[in-house]
Amino acid sequence: MQARHGHSSYRDRTDEFFGVVETLRRSIAPAAANNVPYGGGRREDPRSTAVMQSEFNKRASVIGLAIHQTSQKLSKLAQLAKRSSVFDDPTREIGELTAVIKQEISGLNTALLDLQAVRNSHNDERNISRDTTTHSATVVDDLKNRLMDTTKEFKDVLTLRTENMKIHENRRQRFTNNPSKESTNPFVRQRPLASKPAPSQPAPLPWANSSSSSSSQLVPRRQGEAESSPLLQQSQQQQQQQMVPLQDTYMESRAEALHNVESTIHELSNIFTQLATMVSQQGEIAIRIDQNMEDTLANVEGAQSQLARYLNSISSNRWLMIKIFFVLIAFLMVFLFFVA
Amino acid sequence: MKITALLVLKAAPETSDPVILANASDVSHFGYFQRSSVKEFVVFVGRTVASRTPPSQRQSVQHEEYKVHAYNRNGLCAVGFMDDHYPVRSAFSLLNQVIDEYQKSFGESWKSAKEDSTQPWPYLAEALTKFQDPAEADKLLKIQRELDETKIILHKTIDSVLARGEKLDSLVEKSSDLSMASQMFYKQAKKTNSCCTIL
Repeated sequence: MQARHGHSSYRDRTDEFFGVVETLRRSIAPAAANNVPYGGGRREDPRSTAVMQSEFNKRASVIGLAIHQTSQKLSKLAQLAKRSSVFDDPTREIGELTAVIKQEISGLNTALLDLQAVRNSHNDERNISRDTTTHSATVVDDLKNRLMDTTKEFKDVLTLRTENMKIHENRRQRFTNNPSKESTNPFVRQRPLASKPAPSQPAPLPWANSSSSSSSQLVPRRQGEAESSPLLQQSQQQQQQQMVPLQDTYMESRAEALHNVESTIHELSNIFTQLATMVSQQGEIAIRIDQNMEDTLANVEGAQSQLARYLNSISSNRWLMIKIFFVLIAFLMVFLFFVA
Repeated sequence: MKITALLVLKAAPETSDPVILANASDVSHFGYFQRSSVKEFVVFVGRTVASRTPPSQRQSVQHEEYKVHAYNRNGLCAVGFMDDHYPVRSAFSLLNQVIDEYQKSFGESWKSAKEDSTQPWPYLAEALTKFQDPAEADKLLKIQRELDETKIILHKTIDSVLARGEKLDSLVEKSSDLSMASQMFYKQAKKTNSCCTIL
């Protein structure tokens, strides 16, 4: 004790030593590197909650270790899935590994949920300092994040695997050309025909040159297939590969012809509607012409009646003139009477 | 646009030669002495192509100046010799029809054929003459052709309707002028009729 106060040659670090031993004893059972940050923060815990916290601790460390192992298996799976050679396909191993990883992830999920429930129950039962609650919350969140990352990686690996399987399927069918090619036809027909490129003429030449038919030349016409994966094997399979594109080009040409027919019919419908519009407009014009002619007719009839009346009046004026003459003669007579 | 020959064969498995079930060829445009050799050539090339066509596959092969189209359906193979201008699609639809017709008329008896049959099949011969025009074989082609003709007719119709529109416009102007003139006429007549006191 005295040695501690003075500047002596040794320092009594027994308490520290005891603390470290306790920590190590707590953390020695689930031996993983992940445990250290969790175990380290627990040194100052009061004894009363130490048991609970250590249980929480143990669980958290177990979960951490399991996550780590899962991510390791996942990286192995990713490596296997990336190996994309046709012949050496470790499908069974990949399947097993996938199942194992899926199980582990679901188990980890439930364990994490349990951990969270335990922590919540602890927080409800006892008076725990704010630090411990935040710490346990941080621990749980961290574990959750890691689990999420692992699941995401798992999903990516699975998508990569399915893409590779698709490519393998295509390659296999081009090589063996079995009747299960109907599965590739939907892939072919889905390609929009409007964007069908002009037949690439240089492509047929290497195939025609190396085909091994005896008396006839195979002419692969209409090669617009952009889907062809690189050919690995020659002549025999090339002939069969020409078979598949030819079949597809036949289907494609039929589909294209149908599209042409459909578009022609559309154009025809457009033309018909235009025709109908024009004819209806001209019908209106015809109605106006009709009205004009009726007006003209009415005017001319009125004018004709006027002229007829005028004619009548002109021809009937003579009566008036005779009467006027008589009146004049009467005046003349009166004049003659006065003068003579 | 010519079909030179149509053959129906039974495509045996890979090792043996296909067996000819029906044959129709039109060799009239060759000289008299070449006809038999052309027939032989047709038979031989037809056999070769049919033996190399896997089942449920269509294939087109260029041989000298002919295109040979083959369609193999479950062992029954139809081969057609056409020139370059014959559209491929009509060729294959023609082969389709031939095979359907053959199956309808002969049922399954062709499966047991072991040697070339020499009886002519009249349907094949008349098909050969009927389908010299590719539109006959391929309904799509026929429809497309008719639609194009209809389109041309419609274009002409629209042109004539436009001309009619122009004529109607000129008619409308003239009729409106006429109605104006008749109105003036009426007014004049009324004017001369109204003042009757003078004279």
